Order: sequence, then structure tokens, then C-alpha cells
Amino acid sequence: MTKKKKSILSDQRFVVLLVIIALSAVFSFMSKEFRQYTTILSMLDFSYYDLLMAIGVTFPLITGGVDLSIGTGMVCYALIGGTLIRNNNVPVLAAMLICIVLGILIGTLNGVLIGIMNLPPFLATLCTCMITRGAGSLCSATPWPTLNQPGGWFHSIFKLTIGQGRSASRYPIGFLWMILLVILMEFVLNHTKFGRYTIAIGSNKEAAALSGINVKFYHVMVYVVCGLFTGLAAIAYAAVTPTVQPGTGAGLEMDAIGGVFVGGVAASGGYGSVVGTLVGIFVIMLLKTGLPYVGLQANWQQIITGLVLIVAVLIDILKEKKSAK
Amino acid sequence: MGEVILTMKDIDKSFPGVHALDHVNFEVKRGEVHALMGENGAGKSTLMKVLTGIYQKDSGTITYKGKETEFHNTREAQDAGVVIVHQELNMIGDLTVAQNIFIGREPKKGIRVDDKKMIEDSKKLFQDLNIEIDPREKMSNLTVGKQQMCEIAKAISHKAEVIIFDEPSAALTEKEIADLFEIIKDLRKKGLGIVYISHRMDEIKVITDRVTVMRDGGYVGTLITAESSKEDIINMMVGRVIYEDPKEHSMVAPDAPVVLKVEHLNAGKMVQDVSFELHKGEILGFSGLMGAGRTETARALFGADPKQSGTISIMDKSGQLREVTINSPQDAVKYGIGYLSEDRRRYGVVVQKSVTENTTLATMEEFCNGLFINKSKEKKVTEKYVKELATKTPTTDQLVVNLSGGNQQKVVIAKWLTRDSEILIFDEPTRGIDVGAKNEIYKLMSKLAAEGKSIIMISSEMTEILRMSDRIIIMCEGKVTGNIDISEATQERIMDKATRNIE
Amino acid sequence: MKAKKVMALVLCAAMVSGLAATTVMAAPEDQFDGLTANEAYEFPMMVKSFQATYWEAAMKGMDKAAEELGVTYTAQGPNSESDIADQVNMINTAIAANPVGLGLAACDTSSVQEALQTCVDKGIPVVTFDTGITDAPEGSVVCEVCTDNAQAGAVAAENMYPAIKDVIANAEGQVIIGEVNQDATGQNIQQRGTGFIDKMIELVKADGKTVAVKGNEFYVNAATGADATEADADVVIQVAVPAQTTVELCSTEAQAILSQENCIAIFGSNQVSAEGVLAANANLNVLGSDAANGDVIGVGFDAGSIIKAAVTDGTFLGAVTQSPLMMGYYAIYALTAAANGQELEDVPTAGYWYDATNIDAEDIAPNLYD
Repeated sequence: MTKKKKSILSDQRFVVLLVIIALSAVFSFMSKEFRQYTTILSMLDFSYYDLLMAIGVTFPLITGGVDLSIGTGMVCYALIGGTLIRNNNVPVLAAMLICIVLGILIGTLNGVLIGIMNLPPFLATLCTCMITRGAGSLCSATPWPTLNQPGGWFHSIFKLTIGQGRSASRYPIGFLWMILLVILMEFVLNHTKFGRYTIAIGSNKEAAALSGINVKFYHVMVYVVCGLFTGLAAIAYAAVTPTVQPGTGAGLEMDAIGGVFVGGVAASGGYGSVVGTLVGIFVIMLLKTGLPYVGLQANWQQIITGLVLIVAVLIDILKEKKSAK
Repeated sequence: MGEVILTMKDIDKSFPGVHALDHVNFEVKRGEVHALMGENGAGKSTLMKVLTGIYQKDSGTITYKGKETEFHNTREAQDAGVVIVHQELNMIGDLTVAQNIFIGREPKKGIRVDDKKMIEDSKKLFQDLNIEIDPREKMSNLTVGKQQMCEIAKAISHKAEVIIFDEPSAALTEKEIADLFEIIKDLRKKGLGIVYISHRMDEIKVITDRVTVMRDGGYVGTLITAESSKEDIINMMVGRVIYEDPKEHSMVAPDAPVVLKVEHLNAGKMVQDVSFELHKGEILGFSGLMGAGRTETARALFGADPKQSGTISIMDKSGQLREVTINSPQDAVKYGIGYLSEDRRRYGVVVQKSVTENTTLATMEEFCNGLFINKSKEKKVTEKYVKELATKTPTTDQLVVNLSGGNQQKVVIAKWLTRDSEILIFDEPTRGIDVGAKNEIYKLMSKLAAEGKSIIMISSEMTEILRMSDRIIIMCEGKVTGNIDISEATQERIMDKATRNIE
Repeated sequence: MKAKKVMALVLCAAMVSGLAATTVMAAPEDQFDGLTANEAYEFPMMVKSFQATYWEAAMKGMDKAAEELGVTYTAQGPNSESDIADQVNMINTAIAANPVGLGLAACDTSSVQEALQTCVDKGIPVVTFDTGITDAPEGSVVCEVCTDNAQAGAVAAENMYPAIKDVIANAEGQVIIGEVNQDATGQNIQQRGTGFIDKMIELVKADGKTVAVKGNEFYVNAATGADATEADADVVIQVAVPAQTTVELCSTEAQAILSQENCIAIFGSNQVSAEGVLAANANLNVLGSDAANGDVIGVGFDAGSIIKAAVTDGTFLGAVTQSPLMMGYYAIYALTAAANGQELEDVPTAGYWYDATNIDAEDIAPNLYD
């Protein structure tokens, strides 16, 4: 059998990129307001935390698992970090580190429950989702927890503002960090033992175990990495929302997970790419941002996003059917 | 033999990039067992899938019971009486045997499924087949062999007029095969047309009336079985002669040291007080009926399943036999044991990954500079083994799913050779592998043994055991019932020990 | 702080707005004159969530009243306002303990009907605060302590209009006034949003201009008095509702409105949506107090440090605040009176305007939680 010629059109990431271009064109055509720089700026602002969550959850999804705790986890870490700043005068930098450490801790808990105790990922992360949601609400005794201090440097991590007031120029440098992280994680996925084993676990866990791989350890690590990125997402979330509302976060993971699927991770695991996740998230972000501009009511955003997801998963299934000939 | 019940004429079928069937002809008469032979990838399965409606033909005609017919799905084919017993098991593990057999056509009592009738009918089916399976048992609790028998029972229950057996014996023991043949003979007597796909030449000679041979998607010819020799058929299939004689005496030096010693191993019901020794350079055959506990012994030894008691000693680098603790496959791999599973797709290879990635899966450490994978080194080593083992793959980047069974097996062997494993456990090394590739695997095993690797070979094929082993351990119902040198081994002796408990 | 003093101010505000018909009679809080608790009662107080500091302020009011009367209360509530089922569970648990009275701010008014019926059967008096329950079972709710939300929305329109009046008068073509509501299902937000729209229509029409309402269907249908089609109205009130009640989704909706060149004003009808407006402005930077020079006039609702800061620095013209403090305060009073066996009439509280000039005023500041 000869190796199949890979057409660029068979790469879902390329197809998704075309979708992004098409959506942008449609929205720009329908709304002149959409064509403004500030629209891109805002879309990027709100994409960072989604993208960070999505990069993280790409790994569990490749193993055929899932992490439902990323949305509530993210909000929980941001709340705890913000509360510590406000009540205990913890430096912002320390609060950021705390967000990351908390993410890693919850990720480890997920990993142990799934990789070692063999709980189904859906169930295990549903539990941690509830735990982080409740823990986040505990912080509600403190009003307005946020990492974002007036006049502080924190906001500049993601958006560099030069000048004052209306004449200020704003640069979405957060996007640069995102690109760097995507490149880094794509490299990790394809060029490190961890990445190779992540895919092996997703593709054939038994074969991986019988090859003498410490499957348990790597399975745990997959969720630790996801937790780490959830911690980073908490920082990005706190940077773009005026305040963090206790008790929220449930549902935020859906955009991230949806984006990963749009980006071409096989729904059954075993295949995926971080670059795919990047483009997938931007499809979701474009829909979220663009649909209000063309005057569609919010409920339609969700319906349309759902339809896009179905199409993405169908493409995946058709692809698998074709490769199984 | 009666009238022709089914004729396939000039069947042509292409997939993107592959001409899978090239004007193939095939016919079955009532009361005939017609063998369909050919190496893997010759197009046998595709032809049968066209017949049963899984694929649609591009051109050609199918005439069934005198009428030109085309089935659009398996359901239509089934209803018309053309039933296939698949090579891959299509059973739902969490349902019971009876539920599986009657899935999609459950007998009803009012709106309720009539479980009682289902179980009774299943029992009757099994009685006819002369096998003992409790219809209430969960499918996943059965051995592969018994699951296959259920599949056959299911096919027979469909009031079939043409039954296609796609390698039915691959998973069966000699006894089960004998039973199967009785059933087939019975069905033939009743005037059914039977298509029998198999790689096993012995079976073809015993059970079939005619043989149609395919090669590379094309039709080669049809022979009357009784009038042709084994060699004739094989030559039609591969164009070369296969040498298949039993080994006469052990190739192991009398003073070869023991590299592995297992004492009083207990692991569940299937492994009871198992003890044996493996010498350096030896091929130790494990024979027995399906469900004798051979695979279970191997998995317990390899740390894949938990064990209750027993000691395992392995020769270390200095030549000393030392007791080791193996609690996981990782431990086993560390001590130089490699396991090649009977179910390659499930346990052996990561099918959606490349040849390279599979080859280095057990040895990642050696290919990592710190954190990152050295891909050029990986490629070099893989290419070396592709060459050494004569693995047929266009490039090392080829996905393993696209390789034939024999070549997949070679990739798994390469994985363990890369790991430099001293002890290799081959579990059914040639299951589902075509005759030509089988021979290559045998040569490879002999070569490995000659180079000083020690091999445990679990096999249900008597010819394979007799041809490859230096010594044979026979198991029955979880216990070792025999340990004989190849020079004293005969088929009769082995069967004798395999069918009884402890002498 | 004297509760009565604040109440007097609320009444003034209500009279000014001309909507508070109930205030023509004797002040309803007079019914609590000289009230003392017959026993050391303990009341379960159901809040909608612990999410917003809004409820903290309410609890401050409860604390004060409880201290004055020598009673105690336990505040309970779900994680977020959308956890309707959780709150119903909590209510049922509270009722099972046979309390002498129940304070209730229902997340969803229709889901608590059964629980209220149980209260009738068991003879437990219920005092609703913050959110009224119009179709409650007979005899269950003995007193309602709620903001008049329609009035509060109207207050926002009344104070916004003078700032944009000239812009509307001088506009060459259509102008847009935006409104962001966090949902179209909660009665509070419905009344508040509609109160703003109706008042704005009235004011615009009084100056001889035509008005249309577009956007979310509920508000378009609920609005009264619009006299033009979307295409040829002088003023279009554009109402947006996000898919979920989060700041970021409110922000996206606000941004879509604000980025239109002919948008002249915007109203965020509660804390979340007002913050969403501010988040959208972070990039657009169009809000300000000088409408004549092209600033978009922003008006918020409720308080919190972000909104207070925006009011102080002129990003928001001002905001309307409710008095959660007073609602909490009177809820405890009403419960105590009910437990004593007193007959009660409802206690409406008003929403009132604050801007940079009066944000620190003695009579306003205590209601502006952080």
C-alpha cells in the first residue's frame, strides 16, 4: 500500500482557517462596526483565557478523557488570588503564582482520580468542578476580588497601553504570548516523550502499558498540564474582566472544549494538535463576538455555535471513515 | 453437490487509489464447502463484503437462487439467507450470550422482550453445535474461542442458505475446530452453500470441496480440492513453495543456562501452581486448548495481571539467576522481557501511529536528549529494523494501520528488539497472518533464538508448535500437564495431555 | 444610621419621580413604630446568592435590625442566581425546621410556589424582599419589601435625558440609546429595563421626536409608546441581552452597541451589565460626560467599586442604586412583626440617583456597597 498523498484540504486546521476567514468576511460585510480595530482588540482580550483553557484541555481530550473542572477552576483560582491580594496584601506576582499552583494541585487531583484510581474522567472532573465552584463561592465574603489593581502593571501583561485616555494606543501583546505558548505546546506534543505518550494513551492505552510505559504517571501528568494551563487562564481571566464573580465559571469550559473539537481533536482521542486548538478557539470567539454585531440575539450565538460543533465532529467522523476505507 | 445457488461474475470494485477487486468470479453450489483462499490483502474479505452488501460493487453481476440480486446492506443479505461469520468478533461484551445472538430480532412477549424464549432458543442452538455455553453468561466473560462459537451460532440461527466463514478457526482450538467441522458437514448435508475463508491448508484439505484462489484483488483459479495437492494451492497463492516440516530435535545446547525460572505461580483461576524454566536460546512452546491458561500465565508473568503467589527468577547481567519482583509491565520490561500479544490491534500496536513511533514506544528514554525526542536517531534505528526484519512498508512514517498483519507483527518485534529484550513472549505470533508472512515470522524467531534470545511461544496451531518449539509445555485448565522435548513430541501426545488434568 | 432618615429620603425620591402612588398614604414603615420582639426569634433569610456584594449590604441591614430587635437570622443562598433548584432545596430544608417566619428573595418566582403553599399549611409567615412574588398562594406572603423596579429604571432615564437632550435635538439623522439587561426572565430586570425604556420614550416624545425599540424581543414587546419604525425613528432604543449572565458576554453585547457611530447613550440595568458596559469601554473609550463633544453618556445601576469609580471619574454620568440595606433591615422588622402576630402592609423601597456630586453624601454612601 502506498502512502496517501496528503492534500492540504484534508488537514482540518486548514479548513478551519478558511472558516475563520469566511466568517470574518461575512461579519465585516454585514457590519461596518465589526471592521474596527477595537473589535479585534476586544475579541483578543476575551480569547486569552478561553485559549489557555483550551490548550490545557487539548491533552486530556487527546487521551480520550475530558476535564470539566477548567471553567469553575479558573474562576476559583482567580477569586482566591484576588481575595489574597485584597485581604492579605499579597503581592500581585505571588497571587499569580498561587493561581498556577492551585491549578496544578487540582490538576493533580484530577490526574490521580483518573489515572490511578481509574475513575471515568467525566465523573472525576465533574466532582472537581463542583469542588472548585464551591470553593470559589467561599471567597464571596470579600467584595470584588480581582488581580487587576488600579494603575498596576498586571493588565499590561496582555494589553500594552501607551498614552493616556482617548489618544492611547493599545497593543494586544497577549496574543504574542499565546502564539509562543501554542508553538511550545505543539512542540511538546510532537517532540517530547510526554507528548508521544499522551497520544499513545489516547490511541491505545493497553498497548502503551504493555510496552512498559508508566501509563499511570503520564496519565496523571496529562491532567497536571491541563491544571497548569487552567491556572494561567485564571490570570488571563482576571486581567480582562473588571471583577470576578464568585460562583460563576460553570459553562466556560464548554467554549474551550468546543473549540478544541472544532480544531480537529478526534472525539475518541488519539489525535489532536495545539495549532488546531488555536484556530478552533478563534472560530468560537468569532461567533461569540461577531453575531451580536450583525444583530443576532444572544441565544442564536449558542445555537449556531452548537451547529458548528456538530459539523466539526462530523468532519472528524467522515475523515475516520475514509481512512478506514 | 447440487445446483449453483450463488454466482458472482466479473465483480469489480475500486477504492480511491486501490483496485481492490479486478473482475473476480466465484460460485457456490448447494451442499458444497467452497474455500476462498489468498494472502491477506488478496481481496477475499472485500469480495465477501460486496456479496453481503457492506460494499457496493462497481460492476459485475451477482446471481442468487437464479435471480440477479444486489444487497444494499447486511440486513438485506441476512433476510435473504446470506450470512457472514466475521473474522473480527462483533459481539457486545456487556450483553449476555443470548442477547447477542438475538440482537435486533428479539422475540417479544407483548411489549416485553421474551428472555426465556431467547435463552431456550440459544440453548438449543448450542446443543446442535455440541458446545457448552450458558446463554445467560455475559459475552465479555467468555474466551475468544467461545465468543467465536457464539458468532457461528448466531449466523446459523438466521435460517441461512449461504454461510460465509471468514477465518472461523483462527481463534479456535483443535477440539473446537473438530466440532466446527462436524457442524459444517451437517450443514452441507442439509444442502446449504458454504464459503470457507482460511489460511490453514490442513483444514482446507479436510473440509472443502473446491478451492478458489485470489491474488492481489484478482481471480487466479478454482480447483477441486480432492484432486489438488497442498503445494498446488499454495503455489497459486504465493507463487513460491512453503516448507513446513516439524522440527526433529532441540536446537538448544545441552548446557544452556536457565534465563527464566517460574515457580508455583498462581494468578486467579486460570493460572494454578505453574512452574517452568526457560533456557537461553530456547523456543519454549506453550500448547493447550483455548482457555487453558497460557495467555493468562504470560500476562501474570509480564505483570499485566495481578498474581497471588509464586516466584520469578531472571538471569542478570553477571549470569546469576536472581529472584525479581514484577508488579507491572514496566518492571517486566526493565528485566528484559518483551510481550507480543495475541491481539495485536488491541494490545500490541498503536495503529494510528507511524512505524517509527511504534518501534520506539518502549524505549523512548534512549531517543531523548533531555526532554526532546531525537527524531533522526529514531528514524535510523527504525530503518535498521525495517531492513533487518524485511518489514514491508513504504516509509517509516507509514501508519501501522495500513500495514498487513504480518508486517504489524514485525513492527512489534522491532519494538522489543530495540529494547534489547532477552526474553520474548510471542502469544499466537501468526494469528491472522498469511502463509508467506507466517514463514518469515518463523524464520525470524529461529534466527532470534540462534542469536541467544529466549522465546516463549504460545500457539494453538499444532503445526506451529511442532515446527518451532525446542521444548513444549502443555497446559490444561490453568495447570501445567506436560513438559516434553521436541524429539519426543507427537501431535497425539500433546493432545492427550492438553485434554486431561494432571497426570 | 437612622433607618427612618434614609426611608424619608427614599420617599422624597419616590415622590419626585411621581410614580410612587403608595406613598400618598401614611409611610408604611410607621407600622413598625415601637415594635419589640415577643421572643428571641430566629429567621432563615434566603438570599439569591452570595455572588454580588449587593447581598452583603442586605445582610448589613439585617444585622442592624436584628440587633435592635434582639432577634437572630441565618442567611442562606445558592452559589449563583441561576441555581434555582438549589435554592428551592434550601427553602424546603428551612421550612422543614418549622421556623417562626421565613425571609425570601426568590431566584425564580414560579419555582417557589409549592414551598409557599407549605408555608401556608404550616402557618409560617413569609416576608419577601428584593423580589416580589405576584402570584403567591393566598396567605403565604404577609409582607413584601421590594424596590419599585419600574420606578428605579425610570429614575435612570430621567437623569440621563438632560445630558443627551441637546444631542437628540441637534442630531442629523438617527441616534441610538443602548440598554444592556443581563436577562429577560427575572421580574426585577424586566421591570427595570421596561421602566427605563418607557420613561425614555415619554421624555423623547415630549420633545417632539419619534422613537422605536429594537433588539431583544421581550423588551421590544413590553415597551409602550414607541411611535415609529426602526428605519425612520429619530431615536432608537437598542436592547441587548447576553446568552449568559456573565460580565464578558454583557461586554460583547455592549461593545456591539457602543461601536456604532450614532450611539449617544447606554444604560446597564444591573451590576453585571453595567460592568460589562465598562469592560467594553476599556477598549472603545467612548464614554464620558460631554455629550455635545461626542461622548457617549453611560448610566449604571447598583454599586460596587468598579461602578463607583466610573461614576467618580466621570466615565458614567451616574447610576441608580437600590437600598439593599433598607430591604434587609425592613425584612427583619416585618418578620418580627409577623411573628408577633401583627397584620402588615407592603414596604416598597425606591431606587435613587447618585453621581459624582453626591456619591459621598451621608444619606447615599451607606447604600453604596463596595
